[in-house]
Amino acid sequence: MLLILGSLLALAFGAGFIGSLSGLGGGVFIVPALVIFAHMPMTVAVGASLISVVATSAGASVAFVRDGWTNLKVAMLLECATVTGAVTGAYLAGIVPVIVLELLFAAMMLQSAYFTIRKHGDDILAKGAPLAERLDLSGEIPDEAGNLVHYEVVKVPEGAALMVVAGLMSGLLGIGSGALKVMAMDYIMHLPLKVSSATSNFMIGVTAGAGALVFLARGDVATTIAAPVAIGVTVGALIGSRLLPHIKVNALRTVFVIILLLIAVEMAWRALSRI
Amino acid sequence: MAGAFQNMKKPPVGRSEEDRILRVWTPLLLRTILIVAMIVLVVGLILAAIYTPEYFVDRYRAVQMGHLIGREKFATLANRILQRNPHAFLMIGLFVLTLVPLARVAFCFILFIRQRDWSYVVFTAYVLLGLIAGVLLGRVG
Repeated sequence: MLLILGSLLALAFGAGFIGSLSGLGGGVFIVPALVIFAHMPMTVAVGASLISVVATSAGASVAFVRDGWTNLKVAMLLECATVTGAVTGAYLAGIVPVIVLELLFAAMMLQSAYFTIRKHGDDILAKGAPLAERLDLSGEIPDEAGNLVHYEVVKVPEGAALMVVAGLMSGLLGIGSGALKVMAMDYIMHLPLKVSSATSNFMIGVTAGAGALVFLARGDVATTIAAPVAIGVTVGALIGSRLLPHIKVNALRTVFVIILLLIAVEMAWRALSRI
Repeated sequence: MAGAFQNMKKPPVGRSEEDRILRVWTPLLLRTILIVAMIVLVVGLILAAIYTPEYFVDRYRAVQMGHLIGREKFATLANRILQRNPHAFLMIGLFVLTLVPLARVAFCFILFIRQRDWSYVVFTAYVLLGLIAGVLLGRVG
């Protein structure tokens, strides 16, 4: 038993550590790790991953909320969309054929790889959309000199629509969908990148929690897998976040992208070999 | 995403009562729930390693073959806890973990009620109901 337990803890630790350094979260790496190395069925890996995403996001987002980077109103508004998507996705995960899940996972890995290599600068808007103004979604962030800069929000319905997709992917694939959430807020709604990242971190736990509750209530979470995975990913993410300021993450970016592309190819190959 | 937060100045933190709820009590409660869940999971794994190592290995192999235990009644789970079944401890630990997002949304709900921001009370209530609906959907689906 100790060999199995040690292997699961080591896999989960590695996934949590890389997930933390890359900023993509442990779920992106633990699902393929469990499927490829531990030979677990996709549904089991997804259930275990959702629990671990809840655990890691709890620690990460606390600091961002405390320091004031999270836009709570944007988070709560968009969580209506992500929770709807996540509950639907988690429900469908028990029905959708594995081949579809594997192909979707491969596609999400490609999106995460693109998110990792893209270059972007903040495009702060002075005038928001009427709906965003009515919902009081604007906020303030400090610039380089420490002066507060007001930002506005646009395209709320479009952002919310992409959030439903992010939630759906989270429930179906056991990932936090952080990359998709940041892109929705940053690209579409024009929130500053740091606010998008902090708000996404806040939302990831709730989105994954919605999916995890469906899996737990359905009995689709294997305690022998999910428990060591939750512990390993949490410890790995914690150590990763502690080391983050001392590591040149930009230098590792190419490595992360290669890992994501390899996972995408492996998952797509698995799916296609079922045909 | 955490990389985006390196070397940046901290924004001013609000000092209102609402901010204290959100930025002091919420992190404290979330960390407490997380630590309690982790302790329960570690205790469950230690108990499994001592008392039921063969069962753990058998379950691991069965799960690899796609055989999950499936839905269990909460009463059955409670009974197994009383019998000090390690796997019931693990299940309880996992359930406690999922309280983290529920607690976070519940705190936001209280915050928006105190601010009398009724639009966001409705949005937050929808999210809370969505989480509860997830449990119900899992039980019947």
